[in-house]
Amino acid sequence: MATQAPRAVAAIPDLAPEREIRWPQRIKAKLANGLELVLVESRSIPKFHGELFFRSGNAAAAGRAVSLADMTASMVRTGTARSSSRQIEERLRGLGADLSLAAGQDTSAISFAGLSDNIEPVLHLVNELAREASFPAPEFDRERRQKLEEVKLERTQPGFLAGERLRKILFDKHPYALVSPTEEQVAAYTLDQMRSLYRDFYTPENALLILVGDFDSAAVRSDVENVFGSWSGKKPLSDESPAPPTPRGRRVYLVHVPGAVQAQILCGCHAITRQHPDWIRIALTNSLYGGAFNSRLVMNIREDKGYTYSPRSAVNPLRQYGYFSVSAAVRNEVVAASLTEIFYEIDKLRSLTVPKSELLDAQNYLSGVFSMGLATQSGLLSQISTVILNELPDDYLETYRQKLRALIPGDVLSAARTYIDSANMQIVVVGDREQIEKQAALFGELETYDAKGLRLS
Amino acid sequence: MKPLQIPVEHKTLLNGLHVVIAPDSTAPVVTVGVYYKIGFRREPQGRSGFAHLFEHMMFQGSENAAKMQHIKLINSSGGVLNGSTMYDVTNYYEAVPSNALERVLWLEADRMRALKVDDENLRNQRDVVKEEVRVNVMNQPYGGFPWLDMPPVAFRNWANAHNFYGDFADLDAASLTDVQTFFRTYYVPNNAVLLILGDVNVADGFALAEKHFAHIPAGPSPKFADPSEPRQTEERRGDVVEKFGTLPAMAIGYVMPQRRTPDWYAMGLLDQFLHGGRAGRIYRELVLEKQLAVEADGGIDDIFGYNGPTQMTTRILHKPELTSEETLAAFDAIIADVHGTGITDAELQQVKVKWRSDYFGTLEGGRGGYMPKYGLMHLLACFTLFDGEPQLVNSILDSFLAVSKQQVQDFARTYLRPENRAIVFRKPVAATQEAA
Repeated sequence: MATQAPRAVAAIPDLAPEREIRWPQRIKAKLANGLELVLVESRSIPKFHGELFFRSGNAAAAGRAVSLADMTASMVRTGTARSSSRQIEERLRGLGADLSLAAGQDTSAISFAGLSDNIEPVLHLVNELAREASFPAPEFDRERRQKLEEVKLERTQPGFLAGERLRKILFDKHPYALVSPTEEQVAAYTLDQMRSLYRDFYTPENALLILVGDFDSAAVRSDVENVFGSWSGKKPLSDESPAPPTPRGRRVYLVHVPGAVQAQILCGCHAITRQHPDWIRIALTNSLYGGAFNSRLVMNIREDKGYTYSPRSAVNPLRQYGYFSVSAAVRNEVVAASLTEIFYEIDKLRSLTVPKSELLDAQNYLSGVFSMGLATQSGLLSQISTVILNELPDDYLETYRQKLRALIPGDVLSAARTYIDSANMQIVVVGDREQIEKQAALFGELETYDAKGLRLS
Repeated sequence: MKPLQIPVEHKTLLNGLHVVIAPDSTAPVVTVGVYYKIGFRREPQGRSGFAHLFEHMMFQGSENAAKMQHIKLINSSGGVLNGSTMYDVTNYYEAVPSNALERVLWLEADRMRALKVDDENLRNQRDVVKEEVRVNVMNQPYGGFPWLDMPPVAFRNWANAHNFYGDFADLDAASLTDVQTFFRTYYVPNNAVLLILGDVNVADGFALAEKHFAHIPAGPSPKFADPSEPRQTEERRGDVVEKFGTLPAMAIGYVMPQRRTPDWYAMGLLDQFLHGGRAGRIYRELVLEKQLAVEADGGIDDIFGYNGPTQMTTRILHKPELTSEETLAAFDAIIADVHGTGITDAELQQVKVKWRSDYFGTLEGGRGGYMPKYGLMHLLACFTLFDGEPQLVNSILDSFLAVSKQQVQDFARTYLRPENRAIVFRKPVAATQEAA
């Protein structure tokens, strides 16, 4: 369609000179009890955002019970020695605060945000949760039932089923293979397990507190000393985990969901963590491949072929291991066609040098998105916690763009060849077996599972 | 308590395009939005889902930026972009390093002036939209619940009652002529607002807006379908089958007052009182205390963004050992208690603090953290298009904080009545088969 076009500026405007990026000062301190503190002033709104991390999560708890750190986190807000569940929730509301507790593989965390006027009372409440959780039995019955329904529900979500299967393939006996408990495992949780985990993990020597917001750092630092100063506790001992397997050859894992009207594809292979010197190289390579709207995979299977709405690739950096993954929910008829394009784009990136102009576009993209963290308190908090939890250099934020800009096409070629392991990529497809099995089997030896993880064939 | 003083400047170009600028040099990032006053509510009859399909078409090429160019130019400038179709508006937005501001304005102007798409683009995006519906609705437990389930039960006017994502037959029937007509009718500068927020100098921003948008000709004022509903006099109910999940669910929606009427402010606080997280009355009683439900949440979908019949909706997933009627009775007991005893001074005080805190949070972020100032953009756009008053962003909070407890109780008594509500029961197919 062409409309009558009045006078317009026809040429694409050039970019103006870049404004300097200035990351705010991070004021770091360590309390006598071992608690690490980072304070960052950011005045975008009269609020603050904070997160109290403990450097132990579900992986460190795997020897006790699957996802026990997460279950413990959800119990912590249900009561303390001084406050009932209802009192905690009403205090939060009265302070205008949000708070959530969760554990991932590598950390347990209390995240919170509130009005600048109320920082000190919110810190008091966070302190109470971190030190005095009482694990009331009636609350446990309720939380466990909710968890039970949650784990039933997630087994009906194609994205969850695909992710769970891929983790099992890539990590096997390593705790990272365990993403969620079974119903039986939820039923077996005990309060004693949680109390003991809480005692071991929720200690100042194991903790990192980051506060970002519209406040005066000196005043908040003294609040933190007053509130958390008398806390004590050692760092927990950590167990050695078995090494993950290195799957050889492509295999296909079909998770059968009868009646599914779409197929969820997820392919993956081992890669690297954020600490690895090649991290920025693989991040750039991923961005070119499928990490941005403008990437090759999205342009191919969405904008050109219309197979899918939301194809994406990612590098998933857990603390000990990282892995690369590609996902796309596609219509049943084009499973084979989609996998063909996924591998075509991988192999192309592993064989042919990326044109300089395309590389520059991707560098600009990553550089711009990286700096967007500056614009919000939660964005800053996320960038800073990534640096500290992964023990990256202090000047990581300041030097990232420079390191990114220094990369050349050969770096992408070598990163793709090293880390996007086409020949040994593991392929998961979640969908209705009748509809997709023949197509999936074209890409490797096929194993079929049901939604509960039982092998069907 | 610090008063809110967001600098906001507003001009209207000769072609009717509103331009709103909110400068803030905290970070070298600028957020640009273009809002058109057309959403899925008033899309053409027989073309359900068209407003959203059309939104996809706006990324398919314009006269000077061919398909893929648009996305490429934003990403390669270091920015992110997206669009979304809502009840009463459709938005297009970008967050970019501020050195790319003019490029973004050029792109937005180019597609407002001269969208250029063909049949192949339409076929491609029709396929993409169908996969979007499958991934979000048809292949997910509780997909579309209740936002797609509720309208046909609650409303009688097609505008409010149809399938907003679109029946596949209607998507298939959509033609390039429909695209042209829709573009010419609604995507005119006099039906839109351009927003520039963040690292921009006000004078430069207006000059750039003038340079790129002023020559786009105004169109006739769009004629909008009338969304008014016949008066509801009875409770309405409907059933929907749940294909994947195992818990019975229900959604209870009460029709709300029009935006910025006196009742609207009391509504905002009552919503916070009922649905404000774990302290909210409904979650507290149904999930935490009586333990009948596993999930109970909801509220008003977009309090600042609606401009037609809208509900406050509670969404409940309850234990299968309870019947729907037992669960509904527990919900009704909460409503009856609010009618009878209202809200205490202490509760109202808490609710207001939380409301203020949430409002500030909305202004800063509000779109998954990746779009700085999305919330501020959305509020400024809706206050401009619906109220003609972008400065409301600084003053509207005071009106919410002035609501009395009597007003909250009166509101509950007036609006939370059975003859003002609709209920959708989402019934798991597994349970239905067992019973049969």
